[in-house]
Amino acid sequence: IAMTDFKTYVDQACRAAEEFVNIYYETMDKRRRALTRLYLDKATLIWNGNAVSGLDALNNFFDTLPSSEFQVNMLDCQPVHEQATQSQTTVLVVTSGTVKFDGNKQHFFNQNFLLTAQSTPNNTVWKIASDCFRFQDWSSS
Amino acid sequence: VKCHSEYQDRIPPEREVEKNTQNGDPGTWFKVTIPYGIKYDKSWIVNSIQSHCSVPFTPVAFHYNKNRAHFFIQDASAACALKKVNCKIHDEENQKVFVFVNLSTKPQSIQKMLKPKEMLTLNKRYDVCQQALDLQRLRFDPDLVKHHIDIILNQRNYMAATLKIIERNFPELLSLNLCDNKLYHLDGLPDIIEKAPKVKTLNLSKNKLKSAWELGKVKGLKLEELWLEGNPLCSTFSDQSAYVSIIREYFPKLLRLDGQELASPIIIGIEAPEIIKPCKESYKGSETIKSLVLQFLLQYYLIYDSEDRTGLLSVYHDKACFSLTITLNPEDPEPSSLEKYFKDSRNIKNIKDPRLRIQLLKHTKREIVDSLSVLPRTQHDLNSYVVDLCIQMVSTCFLPQSGPES
Repeated sequence: IAMTDFKTYVDQACRAAEEFVNIYYETMDKRRRALTRLYLDKATLIWNGNAVSGLDALNNFFDTLPSSEFQVNMLDCQPVHEQATQSQTTVLVVTSGTVKFDGNKQHFFNQNFLLTAQSTPNNTVWKIASDCFRFQDWSSS
Repeated sequence: VKCHSEYQDRIPPEREVEKNTQNGDPGTWFKVTIPYGIKYDKSWIVNSIQSHCSVPFTPVAFHYNKNRAHFFIQDASAACALKKVNCKIHDEENQKVFVFVNLSTKPQSIQKMLKPKEMLTLNKRYDVCQQALDLQRLRFDPDLVKHHIDIILNQRNYMAATLKIIERNFPELLSLNLCDNKLYHLDGLPDIIEKAPKVKTLNLSKNKLKSAWELGKVKGLKLEELWLEGNPLCSTFSDQSAYVSIIREYFPKLLRLDGQELASPIIIGIEAPEIIKPCKESYKGSETIKSLVLQFLLQYYLIYDSEDRTGLLSVYHDKACFSLTITLNPEDPEPSSLEKYFKDSRNIKNIKDPRLRIQLLKHTKREIVDSLSVLPRTQHDLNSYVVDLCIQMVSTCFLPQSGPES
């Protein structure tokens, strides 16, 4: 890819990631019922090793998950090479921070998303194709 | 009240108010009406109007009547300014919001605001240690009766005024006793969720509540103890367990009803331990993929942990991307061991400069391996790894390695 093109992809990825992450965690914390709208129909979630696949299962899962308070401290992203995605524009987003679920103690977490772009005439909508979430345990030294 | 200055022979409203105050009249009242106001919630409407209104105002006795929302103000210049807000506000559906202002008599509810003597009575009934307010049979409180003061709690404006006092003076209220106040309904109570959100014990016994449905109005309270006995609604249930389960639907955290301990409920979704507990070994996918991934990880870290990382050139795609970020353990006594990674850390929450963002993202295998080669020497412990495999794409999360060794 020519240098200018690459720069464009990186900028686009950063913009998508920043916007997306704001919306995602706000929705997760404050409007949980709307969260699955951010996922593709056949998206998969691996949550602390538990696999959840498809919108129905996702809806069910997020319903039973207690209410949350997320704080994102780190965000990084990369444009994913088209060879890996059959030319579907994809962005890898990585986050970490802390989360408190109602009734449970606070945890550190790591999360990464693969977002794919769905273009409509007016704008581009990014949806989650895969989502991997895990609590971070610190090893005792 | 006309506000147009072209009407020269009209006295501007401010002057009119002055005239009135000179006569001892505290001021004219105006009623503000928002047709279809029922669609909007109180704070949105008041804030929107205030932000379009050049004069600050204090809305009094805000209420809904059928489709309309109303409130009163006492300030003539505010009334003038408010008239101009008509059609200036657009709601979420981009509809114009109408605001009409008319002269009004003093609103009824103001006449029923509580005064100092009533405050004293309420204070007397407040138990500071228990944070409990006892309003049992309030109307017949000897002090109030002696001074001919009527606080009729089953009337909405008295209940509202009382809740206002609770909000101001006892906002940390834990227990409220409304026993024997002839309450036919709980229409005046929903505000309690906002004004005394910590209430855990509520006594509504010996009132006139006909249906458990009334409890829906205070469903937002996280009640642990509730008294309902002596209400007509109690006899509408076929048996005790039906009674308990219906009440529990309104207050899932309820521990005691009518003085009786309830068997611990099956709380679904509050704890959900199976979901919360991290699960390490649950991969049920293809063994081929699993072994491919494990092989890859072994090879990768073998090269990475060796003296010469240029072997990684064969591992990366020509146009691959690489970036790194650090998550620090706040309890780590020696965070400086990660010092050498700091300058490459690409946290775009902190880094806003687009050039720096590009710079920290290594692109092409040459660039990547060059930057990896200067990072500290490491020793990875694959036994400590937790690997998550997403079906579409492989993603790796792992516990920190047992310690970089130089």
